[in-house]
Amino acid sequence: MNSKILGKNQLTKFIDEFIGEYRVFAPVKKGKIIGFDEIASGKETCLDFQNTKQPPKSVFFPQTEVLFEYKKGEKGLEKAGSGDRDKILLGMRPCDARALVIFDRFFSSGEHEDLPYLQKRERTAVVGLACNHPLNTCFCTSLGGSPFGSEGMDLKLVDLGDEYLVEILTNKGEKLVEDIKWLRDAEESDLNRARDLAEDAENAMKPKISTDGLCDKLDGMFDDPVWEGIHQKCIGCGVCSFLCPTCWCFDVLDEDTGTGVKRVRIWDTCQFPLFTKQGSGFNPRPSGKERMRQRIMHKFNYYPKDFGEFGCVGCGRCVRECPVNLDIREVIRAVMSV
Amino acid sequence: MEDLGKTMQDVARRLLEEGKVDLIVGYEKGTTPIRSTPCFIREAGDVQKLIWDPTCEANLTKYLLDRDERIGVVAKGCDSRSIVVCLAEGQIDRDRVTIIGVPCQGVINRKKIEAELDKQEVVEATVNDEEIKVRGEGFEKVLPTTNYLCDSCLSCRHRNPVIYDFLVGEKVPEVEDANDFAEVEELESRSSEDRWDYFTEELGSCIRCYACRNVCPMCYCKECFVDETMPQWFGKTDDLSDTMIFHIVRAYHLAGRCVDCGACSRACPMEINLRALRKKAEKIVKERFDYEAGTDVEEAPVLGTFKQDDSQEYIIK
Amino acid sequence: MSNPYIPNIAVIRKIITENAVNDIKTFEVVFEDPELAESFTFNPGQFGMVSYFGAGECPIGIASSPTDQGFLQFTIKKVGVVTTALHNSMEGQKIGVRGPYGNGWPIEAMEDKNIVIVGGGFAFTTLRSLAKYMLHDENRDRYKDITIIYGARNPGELSYKYDLENWGKRNDLDLVITVDKGDAEWTGREGYVPTILKEVSPSSENAVAAVCGPPVMIRFTMPVLTELGFQPDRILLSLEMRMKCGIGKCGRCNVGNKFVCQDGPVFTQKELESMPKEY
Repeated sequence: MNSKILGKNQLTKFIDEFIGEYRVFAPVKKGKIIGFDEIASGKETCLDFQNTKQPPKSVFFPQTEVLFEYKKGEKGLEKAGSGDRDKILLGMRPCDARALVIFDRFFSSGEHEDLPYLQKRERTAVVGLACNHPLNTCFCTSLGGSPFGSEGMDLKLVDLGDEYLVEILTNKGEKLVEDIKWLRDAEESDLNRARDLAEDAENAMKPKISTDGLCDKLDGMFDDPVWEGIHQKCIGCGVCSFLCPTCWCFDVLDEDTGTGVKRVRIWDTCQFPLFTKQGSGFNPRPSGKERMRQRIMHKFNYYPKDFGEFGCVGCGRCVRECPVNLDIREVIRAVMSV
Repeated sequence: MEDLGKTMQDVARRLLEEGKVDLIVGYEKGTTPIRSTPCFIREAGDVQKLIWDPTCEANLTKYLLDRDERIGVVAKGCDSRSIVVCLAEGQIDRDRVTIIGVPCQGVINRKKIEAELDKQEVVEATVNDEEIKVRGEGFEKVLPTTNYLCDSCLSCRHRNPVIYDFLVGEKVPEVEDANDFAEVEELESRSSEDRWDYFTEELGSCIRCYACRNVCPMCYCKECFVDETMPQWFGKTDDLSDTMIFHIVRAYHLAGRCVDCGACSRACPMEINLRALRKKAEKIVKERFDYEAGTDVEEAPVLGTFKQDDSQEYIIK
Repeated sequence: MSNPYIPNIAVIRKIITENAVNDIKTFEVVFEDPELAESFTFNPGQFGMVSYFGAGECPIGIASSPTDQGFLQFTIKKVGVVTTALHNSMEGQKIGVRGPYGNGWPIEAMEDKNIVIVGGGFAFTTLRSLAKYMLHDENRDRYKDITIIYGARNPGELSYKYDLENWGKRNDLDLVITVDKGDAEWTGREGYVPTILKEVSPSSENAVAAVCGPPVMIRFTMPVLTELGFQPDRILLSLEMRMKCGIGKCGRCNVGNKFVCQDGPVFTQKELESMPKEY
């Protein structure tokens, strides 16, 4: 099916086509920040942003999620409901879409798949949004991504100025638009404009950070003194992990509801000291140095060894939001220069 | 205008060369425009990294805790007050700390500049006490620094460090009559429903990252109350009740200790107004005990002492 | 695809106090679902995620042998929230059990070999499972000589005294019990496990060593085994790590590119040498 053209003034109409039949998640203005939320109407959508504050992982992997409830008395164990309509996740940047694919791969790996995540994730179509103006803190191209990348998307919107080019990337995407008859077909000039914008965006990206051989290099660096300096200013909070689209570590707790018990999972991070503290009191990662090393090694060595790709998509959220400006790009450079 | 950064470098170099300190903790240029970042210097040859300008926002007192090294630390007015609090509470050994005090006229709130530029990205910036020159794709602007300072700086009454071993630059005039409780008074004037709505809205976006807690020098507990399991005091989820209680209890724990350096608000990725609750606690402490945190290292912590004439209005009405 | 986080309900059938200070108990549990009680199977060395609803969940090595029909045993030391709640339970209490997880001791690869089991303190629990399995009539003749060296801080701390008594009567097993410090009634050996191991000096010829104990014991046991001629791929260790999901998803038992809950908890010394020292 050919690419389509959607006028910017038709965006609300386009999104409204899906509301009702699908649950639609899109970027919305929430007070001072822009984040993903379920919308009831197309006009709530805000695409006027470079990237959302929080990554879209919160749609499928929320900060707090009930795994099951155990009610006192006869009822016993009650599983958290899972019945759901099909979903559309709209307005994801290419880095976030790639991150979602990484999440999918990890949560479906091993002998036990993560049902709560995968159940929400299946029956979701992704409508991406290409980056015409990557920020200076973006570094997706250093890690195998691209501001106009298509990985993980079913449809891709490209901002051509007054209109969006709607690229159809998968069968799922085709199904979404095949009944929307009022979309006009894209012309050669539209496709050329999109290609030019893609080239401009790639050129606008700051020079690539060298990551050739980074995974192998880290193999011998577990005891390298470079880790002493890197972690010093880190304050050990969870900002980088919680805003990272590829971080998935979680904690599991029981909460008393009065009539029973809820088992919930909440976001956790290897940067918190309690993450690995054992019942005996022994902690294999006693200080910030070991914990920062774990973060970097996991993203650029341990995870790639098993899955063949870096555990970082270069979205730049940690760079922008770290309270002390601990820049992961500087860490990569420091490691590469050892 | 005197380049205080240069003076700071000279002081740091001398301290290292003379072996008075093992480590200098100061500020260096950040990796994104209008940002500085804490820097750790152990070799005298590295001191030229040190800078001083209105981007030097971090409260470096945090890095004095739990270290055996002798440290020379750069401290603004508010930072020096948190050093005083930590000294009074026995968390820092005065003999191991050399305070490089620097008078400060406010640090920049980047979010205010972002709002002004309507999210256009700043590619390059130069910053000094008078103006901020920003440049981005298709725009170039000069903004007066004073319009973009952090809220905590706007009503600061301690621009000069209250304790120091070296003073970099000349002291600046204090603004004695700044009303730093203006925002609290405004909130107090609202109805309780309004206030509930306000705080529900602000705290509803908290993701429990604990950046506010970790960036605060006064939050030095080895195990924070939220992490206690035996017994478990409060939940750790992002349910509103769990989140609210975290912020309320934290405000209580900081009553009479918080110096309003603003680090928590700046650290919060969700841009929550974190100062409001704590400022209210600070106001109560001021009214009841006529006490302001971090001004006198000889003074005992206010909620750690009991005086016969302490206000008892909450017990006896 | 079933939800791996949902535990199966089990009932505590019996509680046995194992040590004198009463902070180690063995819980014998039966699954509520009779089909599951019948069909549940596992390898020695695997663990279950045991829930006390309201307190939480934690990983506990399975102490009973797969040859024990219809029930499971978990030996639990009281250290934290969940374990305290379990210790305060009575018979009849319903708990949750998920599993079995982990790789377990490689019982097939260990066949036709001499087995040296070295355990210290309460970490002996999965070695007890292994020993029970191997010593069972159906399995004994698949393994050659078996030597068990088990030590505790003092006589009161020795667990499974009932098993030790039975094993002592067998003539197809070399059982060596030791304590760090005896008491007035103690007539057995006295000495740290690594020291006793050196004294017993089991042959490393066609042998596999299975080791589990506190970090300090492991640290001193490894050189003794190496001196006795055990190659790194013939030394098996069971690691302890903080775990929350048990299925390689929550990230906290991640060591290098492995998850202790999935790729372990049993590793050969050779594998451990290629992993970062973060355990």
